[in-house]
Amino acid sequence: MTRPEQSEGDRSRDEVLAGEYVLGVLSLEDRRRVEARIEHDRDFAAIVARWQENLTRLDDEYAPVPPPSHLFPALEARLFPDTAAAEGRRPAGLWNSLFLWRAISFASIALLITYVSLDSGWIGIRQPAAPLVAEMVGEGSSLALMAHYDAQNGRLRITPVAAGAADERSLELWLVPGGSDPAISLGVLPQSGEGEVEIPANLRSRIAEGVTLAVSMEPFGGSPTGQATGPVIAAGQTRRP
Amino acid sequence: MDAGEEIAVLISRVALRDRTAFSALYTATAPKLFSVCLRILKDRTEAEDALQEVFVKVWQRADRFAAIGTSPMGWLVAIARNHAIDILRARRPLADSIEEEGRSLPDSSPDPEVATVVKGEGRRIDRCMEELESDRASAVRSAYVEGLTYQELAERHGVPLNTMRTWLRRSLLKLRECLDR
Repeated sequence: MTRPEQSEGDRSRDEVLAGEYVLGVLSLEDRRRVEARIEHDRDFAAIVARWQENLTRLDDEYAPVPPPSHLFPALEARLFPDTAAAEGRRPAGLWNSLFLWRAISFASIALLITYVSLDSGWIGIRQPAAPLVAEMVGEGSSLALMAHYDAQNGRLRITPVAAGAADERSLELWLVPGGSDPAISLGVLPQSGEGEVEIPANLRSRIAEGVTLAVSMEPFGGSPTGQATGPVIAAGQTRRP
Repeated sequence: MDAGEEIAVLISRVALRDRTAFSALYTATAPKLFSVCLRILKDRTEAEDALQEVFVKVWQRADRFAAIGTSPMGWLVAIARNHAIDILRARRPLADSIEEEGRSLPDSSPDPEVATVVKGEGRRIDRCMEELESDRASAVRSAYVEGLTYQELAERHGVPLNTMRTWLRRSLLKLRECLDR
């Protein structure tokens, strides 16, 4: 993180400035300057993020106070003026898909795909690295999955967002390496929606920025052929946000 | 799934524009974030307005949550604190200090009597706060929790402004040194 040409003094100065920003003691104008620097200086942004993380413990001092009940309707009316007009009626699509999605088994629970090694070369050794994320969505499908890989703890978290079809099927996760290479199965998502899938060691190096993660609907237990046989219901590219 | 993971899932769903998840996220976290706004702004009406703004930001920025990698509750509280502190600073403008003449750094070498501390996991920040002299730790805490300025902290502790600046800056360096051990 420390650039070689960066002196010890500069580093300490940045630590203090980042700490002052997170504590909140700076003037409004200085806060804006610090925020502008966070946007373009990754090293400095990491120092700020670290203070933020370190001082989070002090948040325990904020004992919850219920806000007045009129606040949320006002907030909704402001954010979603369309639905506020419709007597609080929610968009049917979301409600339905959510309801269905809850009714079926791979429900609302985050799926953790953990892999053992931190230095498997997926992200490299630069720290702190921006996590990789992929939003996997499919046209005409109400299933969406959010993939989030955290290099710090080696966890690839898959969060199902909504799904619309349910019978005795399995969802299979695929790595689409790009080019003309066929998709490689990363395993079947547990039927419960909760569990851990280990990425096979020989595949870890292939999961990098720009590859596609996809989910297909397969016969119960996964594709019988080793290739996706069912429709791909969601797909998304890994990227550094 | 613990509460933190549930909130992380809700934020991910809000990023995909799921209003039901937004409602659930509000129910789960608004009391904490309202407390942040109240504590910093010390005015109920302002805190109510601020809480709305905070949730507008949460709706708009949920897709950036993945990029932060911090705890989900910590991420939300940071949005609330930053918003409330911005309002406070706009209300009572302060002199800028980044360009301050001779923004000098205090000596950060640890006090000898606290130089040996058992390394341990968990509550490290608590332990590091304990290494600070108690009035300095209390200044750090009130700065963070209540959003106090250097001037207000100086008045509260009955020390000159520059002394308070030195206290806090030195405390930050000591905290960093302790957290890095």
